[in-house]
Amino acid sequence: MSKIYDVIIIGGGHNALVCANILSKKNKKVLICEARDECGGLLTNQLTNFIPGLHKNVTSSIDAISTNLRSIKSIALSETGQHLKLSGNKNEDQKTLEGFSAEDADNFLALEKKLSLFSKTLGAFMQSSPPRIMTNSFSDNFKIFKLGLNVRLFGKKNFNEFARMIGLNVADELEDNFKNPLLQGLIAHDSITGSNLGPRSPGTLINLLYRMATYDNSIFGGIKQNEGGVISIIKALENNIIKRGVEIRKSTAVKKCIIKNDRVEGVELDNGELIEAKTVISSADPKSTYFCLLGTEHLDTDFKRKVKHYRAKGRVAKLSLKLKKIPEFKGLDQSDLSQRLVVAPSIDYIEENFNFSKFENLSKDPILEISIPSIYDNSLCDEDMHVMNVQIQYAPYDVRGGWENKSAECINSVLSTIEKYAPDIKACVERQEFISPNDIEKDFNVSGGHWHHGEIQIDQLFMLRPIPGAAQYKTPLHGFYMCGAGTHPGGGMTGIPGKNAANTVLKDL
Amino acid sequence: MNKDLREEALKLTPFHSRTSLACRTNTWYRWAGYTVVAEYSTTELEYTATRNGTSVMDLTPMYKYDIKGERAKQFMNYLVTRDLSKMKDNTVAYVIWCNEDGKVVDDGTVFCMNQNEFKLCCAVRMLTWLKDSAEGFEVDIKEVTDETAALSVQGPTSCSTLKNYGASDVETLKPFEMKKYSIDGYEVLVSRTGFTGDLGYELWTDPKNAEAMWDSLMEAGKHLKIRPMGMYGLEMVRIEAGFIQTGTDFVSSEHALRPVRMRSPYEIGMGWLVHLNKEDYFVGKRTLIKEKENSTTERVLVGLDIDGDKPAHGAVVYNKKKEDIGIVTAAIWSPTLKRNIAIASLKRPYGVKIKEDIFVEIYHPEELEYRKIWATCKVVKRQFYTPERRNAVPAEVY
Repeated sequence: MSKIYDVIIIGGGHNALVCANILSKKNKKVLICEARDECGGLLTNQLTNFIPGLHKNVTSSIDAISTNLRSIKSIALSETGQHLKLSGNKNEDQKTLEGFSAEDADNFLALEKKLSLFSKTLGAFMQSSPPRIMTNSFSDNFKIFKLGLNVRLFGKKNFNEFARMIGLNVADELEDNFKNPLLQGLIAHDSITGSNLGPRSPGTLINLLYRMATYDNSIFGGIKQNEGGVISIIKALENNIIKRGVEIRKSTAVKKCIIKNDRVEGVELDNGELIEAKTVISSADPKSTYFCLLGTEHLDTDFKRKVKHYRAKGRVAKLSLKLKKIPEFKGLDQSDLSQRLVVAPSIDYIEENFNFSKFENLSKDPILEISIPSIYDNSLCDEDMHVMNVQIQYAPYDVRGGWENKSAECINSVLSTIEKYAPDIKACVERQEFISPNDIEKDFNVSGGHWHHGEIQIDQLFMLRPIPGAAQYKTPLHGFYMCGAGTHPGGGMTGIPGKNAANTVLKDL
Repeated sequence: MNKDLREEALKLTPFHSRTSLACRTNTWYRWAGYTVVAEYSTTELEYTATRNGTSVMDLTPMYKYDIKGERAKQFMNYLVTRDLSKMKDNTVAYVIWCNEDGKVVDDGTVFCMNQNEFKLCCAVRMLTWLKDSAEGFEVDIKEVTDETAALSVQGPTSCSTLKNYGASDVETLKPFEMKKYSIDGYEVLVSRTGFTGDLGYELWTDPKNAEAMWDSLMEAGKHLKIRPMGMYGLEMVRIEAGFIQTGTDFVSSEHALRPVRMRSPYEIGMGWLVHLNKEDYFVGKRTLIKEKENSTTERVLVGLDIDGDKPAHGAVVYNKKKEDIGIVTAAIWSPTLKRNIAIASLKRPYGVKIKEDIFVEIYHPEELEYRKIWATCKVVKRQFYTPERRNAVPAEVY
């Protein structure tokens, strides 16, 4: 066996990099094995360009990364050209909404206030390792007590509201508050992106709260984005940890963990090389981690059942277009094109899409989130061509007929849908690249191709993520940990799983 | 409407044409979806055949599984608590298996056909458990309950009966060994195993040979006191032998609704089957190591030797302060031992450190009234009856 490391991290996504940074700050010798030729995991795919960057509680505990956040608008597109543009600036948004309905404008602020209160409470709970239930540990019980206390401190009225909302579907709440279908559609879209739920599915409101909490409450209307994109954050993280002495081996796939006497002893690479370490952390998704890296012969039957039933089938596809010129959108000016464009004009539009996906079919009128990142980032322009990224919601992993036969149909529906808003789109497209959930699974070794490494739903959250009994970044095996999006608090580019995992490991080392 | 609805409700075993003819009492027992004979003529006579001659019992309803594949042995070793890594071809092992909380799912016998091919025989339906456990092992698991006819041939003259039947060198088989014989043109697998605590064998063959096998055996044992035995007789001999039965002496952890009803191997006297020093992991190992280290075992399964002659069916067990310390799971008056015996599940330390001043309260039915008997009892080894012939090699031939 070669040189001895304190910790080996499998995978080089942002959570792995954050984890390595915190460990190396405590003088641990860390090796990262990344199967691909670049770090950043799913983020390099740029499934979405609208990520504000790591959570502030994470950036404060790692080496400094310079970011330059800018606010961008969310524009809910309408076929009539009467789009709804929300900036996240309360006064501006109130004025915009008044144009449609004065009641909407009032309710918008009231709802944002209420949901922000709830999401902050949840957010605080998401910062640290989730408590184990039914133990005698003081810190575990204190965490549960604190969450309970915080909820109780809402006051009677808000406490009742919280209890009412926890299992609610987002459509009901939106219809109670708003008349503008574009506003309803936009917020409903943000509640269901990446999940296998429709706006009328129970539990979608908690999804919205969850997203608000992970994005520092900035999602409601406006959103923040790092000017250099997510890739610049990845590069900065990489540089910082290399300075700390972390070794990153790219194009180095781990075949499996070496286990002796129920303890991890290191990893075996695809090329047969053995590397020793007493601690191994997997940033891979739970199914790949347990079934491929660890090996099922080290797990109990009941545990394997839980891993097997962990829901992780991706529902998001991406179409990347190279454009000869930027198409003209009806009712949008040049500055609007660098914003987030959402095609989800009503709750019913989304729900109808969901109906197709429920039965593993594709909709002819898909839900889209469109960005043209080359407008603000010239480096993306390749041979003077602009880049348009389209995120397609409800692209079922198990699509009937298989993606090899269905991707052309999907691309066609996407372009025809964009055509309704930008009639010259088809003439502008020079090249296209389509990425289905199956491609994500293959290219990024994510079982099921789910961009959050598993559904974000109430039964797979908090002390249940990824599965009860192994939700505190630990696994049944000594010395083997997890730090990916499949752990609490889940996906998105928060870095919190990586940070919490590092702290858990440091406690044990 | 001439259809016999009984055939629709319960399956008939391949021996049915013979067992139904022999069954004078028409007393049947529902076992795992089959109907089998509970009592042919008199339970005591059938019991006596096992202890003094040869008894033949239809055990086709036992759940049977074929487990095949290159990693079949590794899988079996992972499934059960016992170390099977050195298991040889043509041998059988008694095993138990647990869930992740170290609670017993079931007990059964593993047959090693060869290093890539095993059979598992057990009391509780186990296909889902096996398939879920096999996740990642790439083994092929198939239920063969209906495709295998099985008879248990037990008793002091059982070896001679089998020799007459055609299994020429069967006396050389050691306990837990097996051998394939070709008899009258069909293949029979004979294993020296059983559930009676006596010298005995189990015979496995294709259902199409079942009737011929039954007839030949009855002929072979004609002068060796052969007699078919029903389920009631089996219950008597298995209690004397101290064998436990899933669903009677403990509840399978896959079936128990209340976690407190689940039992670890140490709580049902099966600790000897748990090899914590086995090199590979097995289901429940981590929890069982903790249970052993922290001494958190709560109960114990013991044998009770009870005063008097009234069987203590379902009796509550008390200490001298009349505190409830457990329950009798199975009880009989043993005709061979002339003792009133029982198997009981007790709360530790009773039955382990405290063996004195233990009582059972027997409710003995007497003509529509119950007579309450307060009987003292001794805690004894659960294996009440173990004759030397059970393990003698070569086996006794008459």
